[in-house]
Amino acid sequence: MALPRRARSLLLLLLFGGLLFFFFVLSVVLGSVKIPPEELWETLFHQGGQVYQKVVWEIRLPRALAAAFGGAALATAGLLLQIFFRNPIVDPYVLGVSSGATLVVALLMLTGLVLGGGPVPPYILSAAALAGAAAVVGLIVAVANRVKNVVTLLVIGLMVGYLCSAGTSILIAFAEKEKLHGFVLWTLGSFSGFCWDETLVLGVGGAIFLGGAYFLCKPLNALLLGEDYAQSMGVKIKMLRVLIVLFSSGLAALVTAFAGPVAFIGLAGPHLARLALGTSDNRLLIPATMLVGGLIATACDLVARLAFSPVELPVSAVTAVFGAPLVISLLLRRGTSL
Amino acid sequence: MNPVLQTAKLAVGYGDRTVVGEINLQAAKGQLICLLGPNGSGKSTILRCLAGLLAPLKGTVYLKGRPLSALEARSLARTLAVVLTERPSPGQVTVFELAAMGRYPYTGFLGRLSRDDLAKTWEALHLVNAHELAGRYFGELSDGEKQKVLLARALVQDPEVIVLDEPTSHLDVKHRLEVMAILRKLSRAKGITVILSLHEVDLALKYCDLALLVKEGKILAWGPPEEVLSEETVSALYDMDTARFSHCLGGIELKNSGRRCVFVLAGAGAGAPLYRLLNKHGFGVATGVLHENDIDYHVAKALGAAVVGERPFEEIGSGALEQALRCSREAEAVIDTGFPVGSLNRRNVELARRLLAQGKAVYCLRGREEAGCLYEAEAARLVFCSSPVALVEMLSGEGANSSRTGCNE
Repeated sequence: MALPRRARSLLLLLLFGGLLFFFFVLSVVLGSVKIPPEELWETLFHQGGQVYQKVVWEIRLPRALAAAFGGAALATAGLLLQIFFRNPIVDPYVLGVSSGATLVVALLMLTGLVLGGGPVPPYILSAAALAGAAAVVGLIVAVANRVKNVVTLLVIGLMVGYLCSAGTSILIAFAEKEKLHGFVLWTLGSFSGFCWDETLVLGVGGAIFLGGAYFLCKPLNALLLGEDYAQSMGVKIKMLRVLIVLFSSGLAALVTAFAGPVAFIGLAGPHLARLALGTSDNRLLIPATMLVGGLIATACDLVARLAFSPVELPVSAVTAVFGAPLVISLLLRRGTSL
Repeated sequence: MNPVLQTAKLAVGYGDRTVVGEINLQAAKGQLICLLGPNGSGKSTILRCLAGLLAPLKGTVYLKGRPLSALEARSLARTLAVVLTERPSPGQVTVFELAAMGRYPYTGFLGRLSRDDLAKTWEALHLVNAHELAGRYFGELSDGEKQKVLLARALVQDPEVIVLDEPTSHLDVKHRLEVMAILRKLSRAKGITVILSLHEVDLALKYCDLALLVKEGKILAWGPPEEVLSEETVSALYDMDTARFSHCLGGIELKNSGRRCVFVLAGAGAGAPLYRLLNKHGFGVATGVLHENDIDYHVAKALGAAVVGERPFEEIGSGALEQALRCSREAEAVIDTGFPVGSLNRRNVELARRLLAQGKAVYCLRGREEAGCLYEAEAARLVFCSSPVALVEMLSGEGANSSRTGCNE
């Protein structure tokens, strides 16, 4: 390493930011309607072609923003929980957030009980998913303070997840075939069809929680040594537990509500950031994880959209196909533990 | 002087299960205090409670006169630091970053280190002799190095009290002594009160000012280790019936319980290693004639060997000689360890020669020339062995081939 570690980290942050911006622009200009890059500025802020304006402002821009924010949110949620549980294979859904959302969505989409069998409007779907996720978050936060150690909390989260999944699979068993396809696609997650209202909710909510997560970086650093050491240095451990669970599950719930359970980013984003930076210092790692998460989500959403156009691939599949080999190769090259 | 840390009728435990009760201790500034006791006796529980990581079931812990529970988290962290048994695995954290975490109660909202914080961290790393490790990842260090770094982290907190749970376990001899020496230095030079749990009775005796003996939920004793660690107390503390603690030697000797008896002629330290070797191979040991101020005398006593003794600085008398003759008659073999022969113990050679004359097998660890001078004509009947190990192999009947074992007649 020729550069001091800190300068190198800042350079990497810049690189991630640049890449994110690059893929963001690509997301806006590429697609079935190609927008010549030189006309992008014109289209965005002045009177461009009518079709271009509509495509950019109503379809691509909200979707690209949602992907960037969603990716950042998931990766950060994953990072918080990986530190919290001191376990590298934890993802944002480990506490049952996505299972809760999925159960309520299944209730809506598969039974038709609630809405008399018609197709479910997207905003109701989002509201339902958010409600399901929030219910689980509430439950977990309530017990977070009472359990003796975090592993107990982890197991409780897993159990809640299993319970919700059990409910969902019973609903699937009784569901009509036609409804099932739509539901399965929802469970694979997608950033398609984001409208401005949804993006706004995701953006504002996400920004609040992401900001909150960054403000936890000092106690999170202390927590790297374990709860006992953290407490001995003056960390108010019970408060920290609640905040971590609240922020991480809140972030996961927001994304799940609008995009479904997007897999892999929350697990791999933090690893990629940590391996690239070579540090666990959260003051650098949290911003890096946000950028990496946004970058993965934006790039993978682009591929999902374009690879077999007009058929759109599930974004979770793309993230895993590109991300898993990358994580493995970085791990092997570094030769260090997580 | 006001105690820095004090407990009053403290009871510690989990839930409604009391692990140890009635703990009353006072720790003054700069004292090095250890907790001794068998595994599971509650040492860790007491330490966790003293460090404020566990609320007491009954009673109170006072830190500089104020109840621990009344202290704000940050001011507690500025007064008391811990080193725990579990080695953390913090991921990609360098040694310097880890040590600097100790500045937690002093830094601002985002934990930015000031110049003063950096200086304190370097000072602590230098003090534990870990400054050369500063740029390495913590996860890559050996157990001993990790322990020193964790000690530095505690030190960086600038505490008046450091509580350590088994700081010497899993360490090699060098690091064990190094860690203890650092703790000694902290208590003496910096006036830090150090409270730790130990498994090594000898280290407690050599380094600590006060010892708290914990067993089965009770405090067995509390005081200076020189007074508290008697041979009986240590045996009772650990329920030892196969080993024995020697106060004078400051260590543990395994109790001698072998069946086949050998009589060892020793003195001036020539016997001690051989006793242990014979003991390990299951021989019963009898030895003599030893002066009561001889190191061999103390080791043999600690082992529980049958010892024929003589008063210090007296020539070996007829009484002792007769007793040794009787004792060695029952022995399977007699061993001349090659002890130095002088005017006070020359009758040990006479003893050997009389035994030879009676037809007893005498194994000799001396060179042939030296033996010739001492034993004169009888030297021909000695069995010479090149080393204690060869001798024990021969006695065990494993040495069928005498040239291989290095013994010949």
